[in-house]
Amino acid sequence: MTVQDNTLSPRRRVALVNKHVLLVVLSLLALFPVILTVSTALKTARDAQANPFGFFSTFSSENIVTAWTVGNFSDYLLNSFLLSVPSTMIVVVLSTMAGYTFARLPFPGRTVAFYLVVLGLLVPFFTYMIPLYFQLRGIGLLNTLLGVNLVLATTGLAFGTFFMRAFFTDLPTELEQAARIDGASEWQIFLKIMVPLVSSGAGALAVFTFLQNWNNFLVPLLYLPGGEYRPLTTGLYLFLGGRSIDLGPLAAGTLITILPVIVLFVALQKQVTQGFLSGAVKG
Amino acid sequence: MLMVTVFFLFPLVNALYYAFVDFDGLNPAPPFVGLDNFTEMFTDPRVWAALQNNAIWILIGTVSPLVIGLTLALLMWTVRRGRTFYRVAFFLPYVLPQVAIGVVWSWIYDPIRGWLNRALELVGLEHWQTGWLGNPDTALYAVLATAIWATSGFVFIIFLSALRNVDIELVDAARLDGANTLQRLRYVVLPQIMPVFLMVTTITLIGGFSVFDIIFVMTGGGPAGATDVLGTYAYTNAFELSRISYGTTLALLITVLAIPFTIALNRLQRRVSMQGTGA
Repeated sequence: MTVQDNTLSPRRRVALVNKHVLLVVLSLLALFPVILTVSTALKTARDAQANPFGFFSTFSSENIVTAWTVGNFSDYLLNSFLLSVPSTMIVVVLSTMAGYTFARLPFPGRTVAFYLVVLGLLVPFFTYMIPLYFQLRGIGLLNTLLGVNLVLATTGLAFGTFFMRAFFTDLPTELEQAARIDGASEWQIFLKIMVPLVSSGAGALAVFTFLQNWNNFLVPLLYLPGGEYRPLTTGLYLFLGGRSIDLGPLAAGTLITILPVIVLFVALQKQVTQGFLSGAVKG
Repeated sequence: MLMVTVFFLFPLVNALYYAFVDFDGLNPAPPFVGLDNFTEMFTDPRVWAALQNNAIWILIGTVSPLVIGLTLALLMWTVRRGRTFYRVAFFLPYVLPQVAIGVVWSWIYDPIRGWLNRALELVGLEHWQTGWLGNPDTALYAVLATAIWATSGFVFIIFLSALRNVDIELVDAARLDGANTLQRLRYVVLPQIMPVFLMVTTITLIGGFSVFDIIFVMTGGGPAGATDVLGTYAYTNAFELSRISYGTTLALLITVLAIPFTIALNRLQRRVSMQGTGA
């Protein structure tokens, strides 16, 4: 439809207004739980106990402060970053390199190696999560930031390699040949020519992987049983079990958990959507 | 390659080994028990109950987001103003951590003060009120509704992008020929987005086999196993009852069930990207 909204016939304009009303109602319905979290988190402690789900009846930062200090959410937030940022960086760097290798540099056994990596897309995490626990315990990586970062990175590598390979395959080979004639080394070609061309893809992969790792619940639940490095997701779960009557601080903790995701999503909406879309469609 | 070997391939092979022994997490030389774990699995009534819950989850959890997501995408198709806002609003639930989603929805299902029961009271359906998550008859569906709320946003975004490739002139032509909305959908729009449609179906289907987080957070498989699925039952066995081998065998069952669908999905994806219309 190339016509502008204001040139529509009256009948279709009414239909469009109806559509907007319906869409707004549906959006509010979709956002209802988020609005509820914000409302309860911002109540006074007393109001949160008496009337936890009434919308925006009082305002105070009491619950946020309680969750932040007593509830340890300041530590959880830091841990979430310590678990998500390094693992994301590993995934992006290694996937870009591996993607390039699999797309452009023939080596013996390449097909077999690629299938082994992509097998990770086929096999659910459940299959190997239990043996992995004992293996991590055996090599002393259970309850360590390093161990969990490596596990998170590995679960992201299969998709990352697959995803980045598609980008490199799409690039024209002329560029590479021209650079080679000019005497550029393999590394120079990769860093100076190829990487800048796939930076949008790498960006989308970074945002996507970061969100996946930030939201991951099972990996820290299994492999950080000690609790020193507990991130927001398992921290919130623990808080839920421990003090389920205190809805105010619980709501505040939930808000602390989801706020970084919301900010990232709204700010980098395009990259997030592209990441998820490619996750589904590219292949 | 090294990382993949250590953290993926090695434990994968180990999983097969665990399934044929009786490992309790301590004994360094667990006894070989052959197919005992598998025999137990097939005769364990709780496995069948969990499988049934997985099946319900897959059926309803696939069909509902498809219908809701497609409806939303079609609604938005010709809308220009406010597009960004609607996109963010509908997709946001899918991006949030499932733990947080589980927490907030438990409040909505709160038997006394929760919004669901209050809303039912407002429209005069008091007799429908119940403790949604505590009642074995409703718990699974209550958790499922939460999952549908989150998944629909994902389906919506995919359909919205697929609809961009649909020739809208064909739809207008069909309208002039007197085709009603449903006919236009059935004969003009759906055939054009069919590969994407099948792909989304397979993705949500596979997700249904390995569902864990949201059930674990909201009900932990209870009340009395009413919401147990293979994932939560495997977790309970391995990490709460120290029946490592049995848990691993259950996890293998998830794999065996999910893999044919994953292979089908890969085939489909290849076909979709070969059409050249891409993402």
